[in-house]
Amino acid sequence: MSESKTEVPYGTLDLLILKTLDTMGPMHGYRIARRIEQVAENLLRLNQGSIYPALIRLEQQGWIGTQWGISETKRKVKFYSLTRAGLKQLSIEVANWERATALVARFLEVEP
Amino acid sequence: MKLRAAIARLQALFRRRKLDRELDDEILAHLELAEHDAVAAGLEPEEAREAARRNFGGIEQMKENHRDRRSVRWLSNLQRDFRYGLGSLGRDPGFAAVAIGLLALGIGANSAMFSIVDAVLLKPLPFSEPERLVRVWESPPGGRNGTTTLTFLDWKRQTDIFEALSVEASTRAAVTTDGDAARVSGKEVSADYFQVFGVKPQIGRTFAAGEDQPGASPVVVLSHRFWRTQFGGDPGVLERDLMLDGVPHRIIGVLPAGAFDRDEAVFWKPLIFAPAQLNRGQHWLNPIGRLRAGVSIEQAQSRMTALRATLNDVIYQKDWGFAVDPFAKQLVGDTLRRSIYLAFGAVLVVLLIACANVANLALAKGATRRKEMAIRAALGAGRARLIAQLVTESLVLCLLGGVTGVALGALMLRAAAPLVAASLPFTADLSMDLRVLGFAAAAVMAVLILTGLLPSLQTSFGKLSDAMNQGARGSSGSGAAVRRTIVIGEVAASLVLICGAALLFKSLAKLQQVDAGVRIDHVITMSADLPMAAYPSPASATTFYEAVVQRLQAVPGVERASVSQGLPLQGVQWGEYLSVPGVRNSLTARVKMVDPWYFGAMQIPIEAGRGIESRDRVGAPPVVVINQELAGALSKTFGIANPVGRTVGLDVPGYGPIPESQVNPQIVGVIRSERTAGLQAPPELVAYVPFAQAPRQDINLVVRTRTEPAAAMPGIREAVREIDPNLPLGDVRTMEEVKEQSMLWARQPTWVVGAFAGVAALLAALGLYGVLAHAVTQRRREIGIRMALGARPGDVLSHILRSAFSMLLVGFAAGLAGAFALTRVLKTLLFEVSALDPSALAVACVLMALVGMLAAWIPASRAARVDPMAVLRDEG
Repeated sequence: MSESKTEVPYGTLDLLILKTLDTMGPMHGYRIARRIEQVAENLLRLNQGSIYPALIRLEQQGWIGTQWGISETKRKVKFYSLTRAGLKQLSIEVANWERATALVARFLEVEP
Repeated sequence: MKLRAAIARLQALFRRRKLDRELDDEILAHLELAEHDAVAAGLEPEEAREAARRNFGGIEQMKENHRDRRSVRWLSNLQRDFRYGLGSLGRDPGFAAVAIGLLALGIGANSAMFSIVDAVLLKPLPFSEPERLVRVWESPPGGRNGTTTLTFLDWKRQTDIFEALSVEASTRAAVTTDGDAARVSGKEVSADYFQVFGVKPQIGRTFAAGEDQPGASPVVVLSHRFWRTQFGGDPGVLERDLMLDGVPHRIIGVLPAGAFDRDEAVFWKPLIFAPAQLNRGQHWLNPIGRLRAGVSIEQAQSRMTALRATLNDVIYQKDWGFAVDPFAKQLVGDTLRRSIYLAFGAVLVVLLIACANVANLALAKGATRRKEMAIRAALGAGRARLIAQLVTESLVLCLLGGVTGVALGALMLRAAAPLVAASLPFTADLSMDLRVLGFAAAAVMAVLILTGLLPSLQTSFGKLSDAMNQGARGSSGSGAAVRRTIVIGEVAASLVLICGAALLFKSLAKLQQVDAGVRIDHVITMSADLPMAAYPSPASATTFYEAVVQRLQAVPGVERASVSQGLPLQGVQWGEYLSVPGVRNSLTARVKMVDPWYFGAMQIPIEAGRGIESRDRVGAPPVVVINQELAGALSKTFGIANPVGRTVGLDVPGYGPIPESQVNPQIVGVIRSERTAGLQAPPELVAYVPFAQAPRQDINLVVRTRTEPAAAMPGIREAVREIDPNLPLGDVRTMEEVKEQSMLWARQPTWVVGAFAGVAALLAALGLYGVLAHAVTQRRREIGIRMALGARPGDVLSHILRSAFSMLLVGFAAGLAGAFALTRVLKTLLFEVSALDPSALAVACVLMALVGMLAAWIPASRAARVDPMAVLRDEG
């Protein structure tokens, strides 16, 4: 397969899903996966299936809600949407991410 | 948020099927959409499906990940093992039934016994702040004694020590309803009695201050049970009167159900001191108090000691002090405490043996499952995971056994409660409450460790090839040694119990053989109380009993009737000083009032002088008859070799509220001692005073009959009714029953331990049988070959029996060592039997050996019947 693609950075799939739902509104699983791939412009190697375990966890935490709807192929599917708690969590995770990248960046700036 | 997630995860455990289905639907929809997009992008349908699959990633892996993420891994494993455990029990219902039955028996008996232990020894008393309840005594050197009215009133004034201080005196009264008189027991108490216990009435009120003072109108408080049985739970009972000995008492309150529902008292009325009782000579009161909040027992004790110093001028007994004891201390005697510990120990041993049997069964099953375990291990299951599975399977067993056991225990307790209630303090509330359930849960955990964890550690999860080969060879393997050791332990533990039971039974037999000093058979006894209103004077009481005895004498079937105060074996109520004129020394003797026919009715022989006769009446010279013990003591203390004819000084109780006074009776006779304080107690020093010279209101009728004693009862009742139609008779018992009751303290622990020992022996035999039967089955081929090579059935039989006997012998050695260790506990409960009595221990060993050999006989004879041809054909 294409060697240039990177893996989803560890622990960031939750963040990607929350951010996706925040910008795009309620979507079903396949659309979420596609959206992530599109934003990454095919630089990301994502097993689309891996979003489902992440989705159930987010749902159990109460950060996203679900609703049954009909897909483009006329099949019953779950639509996921961000809850208010999820919105708050998103801002926390964004802040965490920015802190972490800033920290790593600072290390990289240090000249030997 | 954390909590919410945890709940969601737990829910996921039970919604597994639904969640799995939903996930499947989502996956299908996802793949369909992906395929749809791919086709739209211009791929061929076949390529599109493949691309969708590829982009999705591993489906099964993702599903497993999904399950892990949404739930708790070990819990879902547990759940699976639990289901598997239930399934595997269902596949082997014989094993399941036996194991659950054994555990239920052990846990049930333990729960029931623990309920007794808890109620009697552990639980706080069922009163508010029970640690403030105290008993207050006068304390002769090294002892405790009741106090006098005036001293009690002095104590009562110490309001800085006691919030409330009260006395209770047992009383009985005839209650007349619809013309039929019944005698009921009650208590006369101080007005603040219920404040001491902190008991509030269910309806109405309890006594007000001043209601125990002379001139107060008569009032009464009822127990809850009496209210229900006598008044049908009538809420309007407060408008009604209770007739006690013909005197109307206004019912002012009803107590709540519980600790005050007991046979010894169904009503309470104020105790009003008579002027004659206001003295410091008559030690008749046993006060119970509630300490003021913040006052400790030690502070109360030191203040009471200070008070004692100020009363030195008025108290006669100069060397007596005052003492304050916790109320709880008195309730449980040493014998009862020891008996309960002993029974609890015995029942724990039964549980251990039951566990050993279940563990043994599990091990035997484990041996046959070694192949299964090896395959699982080969397929990658870790050792911890396999142990977890085995333990979960035992958990299923233990839980089923525990639930059945608690139900069984509740039944046992319900059956036993009425039998043991009389031996327990009134505060003991026997019930399967939360504490007992907690204990049962702890027992289940312990059982789980013993029957699940330990055997599963023993099960080896070795190489597949080893397990397969060993299975084929049919040898007994190393597991057999462990199982034999367990059986030896079972034999040892049950032998300890059987030894204990044998000793107790021997002691009981000895006790039963003790000569009570009176002839027990064909005697019926009953009690009566002459109410003050109808019998105001000593003379009226004397007239009554003389008339009754004369009338009873004419009843058909009656050989001899008599009146006494107190019965043999039940203790003598009065203890008084006996002195010899001119000598400073004195003795304390029990004083018993009897009529002229008592010695004859009880067939107590007169050894010297005469008995009490009709001429010993009021106005005639006072006389006393003494027993041999007292004669011996007189000779030892005063050097009086021949007591008949001597005059002594003796305090004799007065009639009704009249206190005791000193008289100087002449000793007219010596009788052979009767056992007054129980068969186990050595004869006491007793002085018999003529009833006519010291009449009592509380009397016992003793009637010797020619026929079956119970048959004479209607005639006896009729005769008494002719003399006094309002006088009910109570406590109708044959002398044999009186004797039985006096032995209850020894009989109950003996039978309880005996029953547990029997169960233990049977369980040990079952264990022995199990191990031998298993060994015979496994060694069928070996036995067949031996027989083919010329061994006779007799050889095989003796071979198996020898192996059983060697296990028994080792068990006996360990068991006897255990029995020696038990000596200290048993010693005080045994009567004239050494805790190492060789004959009792020998009987125990023989019994256990018989049971053990019987258990071995069945598998051994089966082995002897093995047909070598059949075996070799089978396995060839």
